[in-house]
Amino acid sequence: MTHPTASDFWEALRDSAPVMFGYIPLGMAFGVLFQSLGYHWLFAPLAGVIIYAGSAQFMSVGLLATGVSYTEAFIATLLLNSRHVFYGLSVLNRYPKQGLARWYLIFGLTDETYSLITAKPPEFSKNSRYFVYLTGLNHSYWVIGCGLGASLQSFFAFDSRGFEFALVALFLVLLIEQVRTMKERWVIVFAVCASILAYVLIPNQFLLAAIGLCLIVVIVGARRGEVDG
Amino acid sequence: MDNVYLLGIFAAMSAATMLTRSLPFVALAKVKNHSALDQFGRLLPPMIMVVLVCFGLVSLEIESIDRGGLSALSFVVVIVLHAYFRNPLLSILVGTGVYVIGIQGFGL
Repeated sequence: MTHPTASDFWEALRDSAPVMFGYIPLGMAFGVLFQSLGYHWLFAPLAGVIIYAGSAQFMSVGLLATGVSYTEAFIATLLLNSRHVFYGLSVLNRYPKQGLARWYLIFGLTDETYSLITAKPPEFSKNSRYFVYLTGLNHSYWVIGCGLGASLQSFFAFDSRGFEFALVALFLVLLIEQVRTMKERWVIVFAVCASILAYVLIPNQFLLAAIGLCLIVVIVGARRGEVDG
Repeated sequence: MDNVYLLGIFAAMSAATMLTRSLPFVALAKVKNHSALDQFGRLLPPMIMVVLVCFGLVSLEIESIDRGGLSALSFVVVIVLHAYFRNPLLSILVGTGVYVIGIQGFGL
């Protein structure tokens, strides 16, 4: 383990800046929505700290409004977040093998953190301090967003329509960055087909279905690669 | 408002999130540098990013031609800006700005 260096932190800060612009408005949108339930506004940033899953937190507002059981909330979140099982597969060899840092990094493996980490060259896998800074910064942007939205909304209502596009723009930018560095660009075509197919067949389980189809493509591709090589 | 119920729901959701994120690490901890895993690590991320872009587009709930045109315009703005300047902040801010102005300023 190397000594902590300021450059690791600054690099994480610079890399995570686009996530800040996605997480703060999105977290604020959650905070605003959460306020409609009538709880104290401090519970919104608390949700950001302990759940830290954007789509699941948005879903929780609906769940809480209808008064579901703990079991139902658990299962619904499990299904919604099941795509994260596949994320772990691709960062398995990059994360530290043990310690508190490992578990915090696993807990904080959101869509955005995942894409920033996988955009780094593989030799970065030794630098777990950078990963902790990056994960911690993204986590704090999200919590700040949740707190800002809920507290502001409890004082005065504001117009946040259209802010949801930041999420599309963020994923689009990250996609362009990943496409630049890869050789097998054919998989992009398959991913687009998988998304369209999933949207037509199972629109209410879109994420899970589309990622499942992509996984099949990669498994078949890996088999063929083994035969050829 | 029942704060204990709220915290219970938060705890259940937190546990489910941690379970999905930690499953591959716990289940595959014994596997070391498997070539199939490297294949996953290389091919899966850009594919999932395509899926997430599509998910984002779906969640915009494009119901009218005006809204579709605005979404397409903002989408192209992000791609063009990022191709030329390669500055994530600029691409995201301007792209989102175009979309917000279209919705709030022009009622699209």
